[in-house]
Amino acid sequence: MDPLERALRDIERALGDEAFQEGVKRAARHAEERVPHILEEHPYLRELAREVRRVKEEVLSNLDHYIEEAMESLGRMGARAYLAGDASEAREIVAGIVGTGKTVVLSKSMTAEELGLREYLESLGNEVWETDLGQLLIQLEGGKPMHSVAPAVHLTRERVAALLREKLGLRVPPGTSPEEMVRLVRGFLREKFTSADVGISGANAIAAETGSIVLVENEGNIRLVTGLPPVHIAVAGVEKIVPTLLDALKVAIVQAAYDGLYPPNYINVISGPSATADIEHKRVRGAHGPLEVHVVLVDNGRRAALRDPLLSEQLRCIRCGRCQWECPVWQHTANLWGGPSYGGPMGVVWTAITRGVEEASGLALLCLGCARCDYVCPVEIPISRILRSLKARYSKRITRGV
Amino acid sequence: MASVRAVLEFLADSTLKTGLPVPVPMEEVYSWAIPLGLPRSGRVHLYTGALYQLMPYIERLGRYLESLEGSRSAAAILRLARALIAAPRFTRTLLSPEPQALERPRAILSRIARFLGAAGYYVAYPYEGDLYSGVLLYDMGLDDAFAEVASRVYRVLKEAGAEEIVTVDPHTTHVMRSVYPKYVDGYDLEVRNYLEVLAEAVDSGRVRLRPRVREVVIHDPCFYARYEGIIEEPRRILRAAGVEVREPRRSGRMTYCCGGPVESISPRLASKIAETRLSELREESKTVVVMCPICYANLSRANRLGLRIIDIAEAFDVEV
Repeated sequence: MDPLERALRDIERALGDEAFQEGVKRAARHAEERVPHILEEHPYLRELAREVRRVKEEVLSNLDHYIEEAMESLGRMGARAYLAGDASEAREIVAGIVGTGKTVVLSKSMTAEELGLREYLESLGNEVWETDLGQLLIQLEGGKPMHSVAPAVHLTRERVAALLREKLGLRVPPGTSPEEMVRLVRGFLREKFTSADVGISGANAIAAETGSIVLVENEGNIRLVTGLPPVHIAVAGVEKIVPTLLDALKVAIVQAAYDGLYPPNYINVISGPSATADIEHKRVRGAHGPLEVHVVLVDNGRRAALRDPLLSEQLRCIRCGRCQWECPVWQHTANLWGGPSYGGPMGVVWTAITRGVEEASGLALLCLGCARCDYVCPVEIPISRILRSLKARYSKRITRGV
Repeated sequence: MASVRAVLEFLADSTLKTGLPVPVPMEEVYSWAIPLGLPRSGRVHLYTGALYQLMPYIERLGRYLESLEGSRSAAAILRLARALIAAPRFTRTLLSPEPQALERPRAILSRIARFLGAAGYYVAYPYEGDLYSGVLLYDMGLDDAFAEVASRVYRVLKEAGAEEIVTVDPHTTHVMRSVYPKYVDGYDLEVRNYLEVLAEAVDSGRVRLRPRVREVVIHDPCFYARYEGIIEEPRRILRAAGVEVREPRRSGRMTYCCGGPVESISPRLASKIAETRLSELREESKTVVVMCPICYANLSRANRLGLRIIDIAEAFDVEV
């Protein structure tokens, strides 16, 4: 089915779904009001966002060098680094580490989503659990994340209760409070965390200089995913590399602020496998945390996009999702507009980068060109201009250049 | 959804062959100016770009193509386009827009011309040369067709002696000021928007205004607010006229789209976005002021809340 026709069909259904509309609208309104408030209260955040933009531009102007430096540093820290050319190569690398018959816990990662990692590992006979509550609900629902930071934004508490009851067999009678549901899920996942063989995370940023992975979160699941199992695998697009650890922390801070959750509950820094120096102050690898850390850097269209004057601008994206919160189309469709994994204004462009312009360009026709996204992007990506250029490519293709 | 390809080709074909996105006789575009006796040549031209005048047709065409759903094929739509291009008079019979819908934009444009005159800004008008700017082709990414249209529009305006043009809607303003220079070699028209001209005249005391409504909620069009930075001018004008201006939750630079631009791809989505916008406008006032014929059309279509939607040019009069 044509991607635009599929999106229109899904959107048509969602427009008639009042609970979906109400959920998305409420969440967007909160974010619309919260982010300006956060930026006003912490004036340094705008300056940090400008610094992140500069840092990203520097990396993208010399990406191969930074990939090489990051891989060297990761190796030096005792992690194993891989560079995957495309999605299937990335899946194979991860599958090679995980094997079969394992229990795997996953923290929410848009890159893992892009790779179809969960489904692939399941198909190989592994038991795989999403541990971010929203993303777990998406796994149970069998859909796609509806926002890059708040994946289950479209589900009401009643719908959540039904999913937990039907798919996990939890005792969630009608009228159960969100607090109680969270407690029940915590109990359910606790056992998965402790028995997991492998934890898989994404990364908000990777410091080329030190080989450190930085992850920002609120639930605390990332600490458990990356801390409890003996093996930790991080998957990250190559554009997540920044020069230094300080830069990586800035990315995490800006990402949290522009999503509207500030301060974040946790920022995690992972530099290789766990270690101790408590015997004669000599560093020994392997302590309470993982013994093995693997980092899969994913290209999957990114380096090719660098050669495109407009698509390349999207590579600065830190996936805060603010363009989604602010987009009038997204506020009525959530990520049903955008492609199989990404969604919203930036999502259409990410679909173009990771799956090709042909698949994404028709979807750009649903952009209003209203440019709210351009005004709220922390790293000043001209999203609506990129979408217009995708429309132009679509129009050219279907009309054979009128 | 009518075949996207057919709609795009319809628009491009018609604009290239007739100068208008929907083929209608040129009088439909310029008849409003005849009673005013605007001169044909001069340094400053009022250039409407035909958007106000053609919106009733563009809307009906969208409806018509949708109604062909099922039986429609891209080829049938293109045959229709060719037939109408050959006989533009038939378009009115086929689409039969409400006479009132055709009259309203004419009244708005003649009000605008009178405002400009009162401000001492005497404009010429190109009549048959008031061609469509091609903005829809640009928005839909039909760059080659757009470039051809842009050069023709520019040539016609230059031949009429224009050095400066005054525009009346956000899309034409943006495309003439910020897009044409990238598509037309040697482009040197100065572009002013009538709200800028009028705000200046009001500020300097050259024009006095009086209200036609007591209070309004203002709906900024995206292209004024975010692309051209025209935010304060309409407010200064309305306040100077004594109209109380109320701001919706999302206004000024962060204004919210009316939904109109996706109308041809998803009418339902366009109308949902309009409903969302109308419900937040209603929180401030029962009278909504718009400044764009696309906003007017899309918000009016979705207006089930009984709001009064008026163009800014209908919100005040000049004192004589």
